[in-house]
Amino acid sequence: MSMNEFDDKTLRERIAKNPQPALAWLAGALVLVVLELGRLASGIVQVGETTRFVLGGIASVPGSVEESVASTLGGIAGLVAFGLTVLVLLGIAAILVKWLLIPWTLVDRLGIEASTGVKDIVERVIVTGLLVVAAALVVLTPVGGVLEMAVSALTRGVEWVGSLPTITSRELIPNEGYQQPDGSWEGTFLGLSPAVAWALRVAVVYAYALVWLAWLWRGYETFREHYREADWTPRDDSINRFRNHYWGMFGLIVVIMFLVMALWAPAVSPATAEANLYQPYEHEFEYYGDDGVETISHGDANFDSRSQGSHTYVSVMSYDDYDRFHPFGTNTDGKDLFTFLAYGAQVSLVIGLLATVLMAVIATALALITAYYKGVADLVTIVASDSIISLPRFLLVLLLSVLFMQANHPVAEIYDGGLLLALIFAGTGWPLLWRAVRGPALQVSEQEWIDAAKSYGQSPAATMRKHMAPYIAGYMLIYASLSLGGVIIGVAALSFLGFGVQAPTPEWGRAVYEGRSHIDSPSWHIATLPGILVVLLVTGFNALGDGIRDAIDPQSEASDGAAGASGGGG
Amino acid sequence: MSRWRYFFRRLLLSVPVVLFGLTITFVIVRMGPIDPVAAIVGPEGGGASRGRIEERLGLNEPLWQQYIDFMVDMLTFNLGQSWVIQPGRSVESLLMTYAPRTLWLGFWSVLIAICIGVPLGFYAGLNPNTKSDYLASFGGIVWRAMPNFWLAIIILAVLRQSERFFFGLNWQSLGVDSALIGQPPLDFIAFTDWVTIGMISIPVGLYFSFETLIASIKQVMPAAIVLGSAAMGNEMRIGRTAVLETINSNYVETAKAKGLRDRVIVWKHVFRNAMVPLVPIITNEAFILIGGSVIVEVIFGINGIGYLFFQAATEGDLPLVGSLMFVFIILIVSINILQDFLYTVLDPRVGYE
Repeated sequence: MSMNEFDDKTLRERIAKNPQPALAWLAGALVLVVLELGRLASGIVQVGETTRFVLGGIASVPGSVEESVASTLGGIAGLVAFGLTVLVLLGIAAILVKWLLIPWTLVDRLGIEASTGVKDIVERVIVTGLLVVAAALVVLTPVGGVLEMAVSALTRGVEWVGSLPTITSRELIPNEGYQQPDGSWEGTFLGLSPAVAWALRVAVVYAYALVWLAWLWRGYETFREHYREADWTPRDDSINRFRNHYWGMFGLIVVIMFLVMALWAPAVSPATAEANLYQPYEHEFEYYGDDGVETISHGDANFDSRSQGSHTYVSVMSYDDYDRFHPFGTNTDGKDLFTFLAYGAQVSLVIGLLATVLMAVIATALALITAYYKGVADLVTIVASDSIISLPRFLLVLLLSVLFMQANHPVAEIYDGGLLLALIFAGTGWPLLWRAVRGPALQVSEQEWIDAAKSYGQSPAATMRKHMAPYIAGYMLIYASLSLGGVIIGVAALSFLGFGVQAPTPEWGRAVYEGRSHIDSPSWHIATLPGILVVLLVTGFNALGDGIRDAIDPQSEASDGAAGASGGGG
Repeated sequence: MSRWRYFFRRLLLSVPVVLFGLTITFVIVRMGPIDPVAAIVGPEGGGASRGRIEERLGLNEPLWQQYIDFMVDMLTFNLGQSWVIQPGRSVESLLMTYAPRTLWLGFWSVLIAICIGVPLGFYAGLNPNTKSDYLASFGGIVWRAMPNFWLAIIILAVLRQSERFFFGLNWQSLGVDSALIGQPPLDFIAFTDWVTIGMISIPVGLYFSFETLIASIKQVMPAAIVLGSAAMGNEMRIGRTAVLETINSNYVETAKAKGLRDRVIVWKHVFRNAMVPLVPIITNEAFILIGGSVIVEVIFGINGIGYLFFQAATEGDLPLVGSLMFVFIILIVSINILQDFLYTVLDPRVGYE
């Protein structure tokens, strides 16, 4: 069989030829999406807002560069710096746009003849030029206003969709209500007790997530059976090995439980974060008091249900005086600990993922470049990474976050310090990842097909991307999963010391800090439960990493134990 | 490449590493978002005192001059002084006071980790896939995933209530009386008399208190266990794998075939070879100790270097932070060189890969 037989039909053509299984799968997926359309839409709105905020921040960079340069070197130099910064930023954007949105090459369409390397550059220059024109149009002409209106109309539309009821929404299965004197419950789902109603909603959330997973697996099987041209690929073996790897499966289950908890934090928490954590005095609810049904603000109710030592506490799986159910008890301010932890999971996940993805991107790029060019590039990277490693990581992270937070630097405000932490962890963590994948990258670069690609005239970037990157992707996955646990522990440790994620944004380490002096009292849960969650989660990530390693590379030795995330980082 | 050329290349490479590490420190301390003078002068300080301090720190000079001064000062071990925490005290004298506590803590954490982790790992490796192996392995994995800050407060809570958990044994009054939190007494050994012969002073009088030593060890023990927890788990894991690998290797088969006793096989052939992969793990612990001691020292109230660094960073004593960072860089780079040296001596394959 020649390679052409595989290559000449795209996936789209293969599906067009036999659409039935794909359509059946898609219909199922659509049903699943519709069930949770509201939550999905509000998630999209959130992501959109964040993107807008980040874009706004980036857009203000040229201005601030101009200001600082102009103040030392004069106005004209400032203008030049402004222009240069804009060009650099748009150039970076051009690479992304080209990579994500333009699958064909403009150079070929325009019929420009040049060698491969030059072509790449010309391509980027053209895209940058287009972006400059687009940016100028948006900033200088009414097009910007029109765009603004279009975006806000779109946002309103998506927001409306976001208000639709979903299968996991609190409105469908409400768990907040009060008990009447005759023992019946008012306001909860079907008159069940809040505890049962809450448990039911959590069960629905996890069931929904499980169905999605099963459906995705089904989709992969459909693809494998009907649309993949090869009957067998090495990846099939890896997946089979992973399915029989109990330790790895345990890790996967723990990680998925955590992911669901973080993604559906508003649904699994007994109270909403807005009412219970952020603005407790501005939200009220009804309860059955001495004079019948009364209203009270969350803040006042929280004050009466604080867990502080042995004289006042609301312990695990119990109700407070206002008939609110607290599966994990309350914390020292009377806020619901489960809500705190669920939203804290979201925070940990966002920071951990952001840091790890940044780290992995830097480390992969450097590993490819150093393995391809070797020599000076390799040496410089060795010195740079060794230098960063020679600074004790936790102290460096601590120092940087303390400095930025005490200076009230604008970066430290975003996400209550979360973005800053992610950047710091990424900046100090990439050398470890780079070291881990440098070996495999060097091995691949010695292969014959790299030589072949070179002599065939393929550009270095294409060679690295197509022929080297896939081989280190697996290793990257292993080490990224291990380092994610490390970042989560590190963030929790920093928050414990008071220099991580700031209040009121919930973070697990801060819960441990708040409850540290109550462990030997009936309020033991505040510090103990978050700690157990961290242990479970980090063990899960380590197990997942082990599982992936054994699945990808069964010959590998489990001897590099230092790579695992451990409590040593904090 | 010969082994020694390889070693000297590594040695040479550590020079740019130290320089670049120092440069990063300079950038963070002098060009970071916090003005080093602000914290020293305080909110009430006027412009005059500000100018005076700027001049003493050399901050009124151009940045490149500051950079050169900083590098020269550090590399000639002119570490300067503290400005905020203990104004006027030299960094050397601070180190003399604070470092021994951290060293004492570090010594015990390494020792405990080795004494518990390695034997457990070897035991699990010698009895693979038994119940006790699973128990030890699983325990090691969980033990290692515990964040130090959490483990520390849990251990403190358990010890505070030790009568409840250990059948009436009270930790605080067990053996010698000791507090749970606070720094261990280090005055169990001291020189009382010095005799000067020419240029050299020789200690002749020696004071040693066994009871204080015991109290000191007991006091530092919980902190050391927490600090060594991650390393203990690592050593166990690596030890288990190493023993498993050696036990299945050909020379052990040969030894068995020629009728050597199990005891001799285990002690002479298995353990000695299984120790080799443990060497880098043990040296790597130094990194963990330097970075991780902050949290343990803060929670257990031990006034060590980590605590000093934490204080200096939070209170804006940036000149002290810079000097301490330099000391850490030197420490870590020297440990790395030591590790390379050990490899060069121990492993003849080095440099031929």
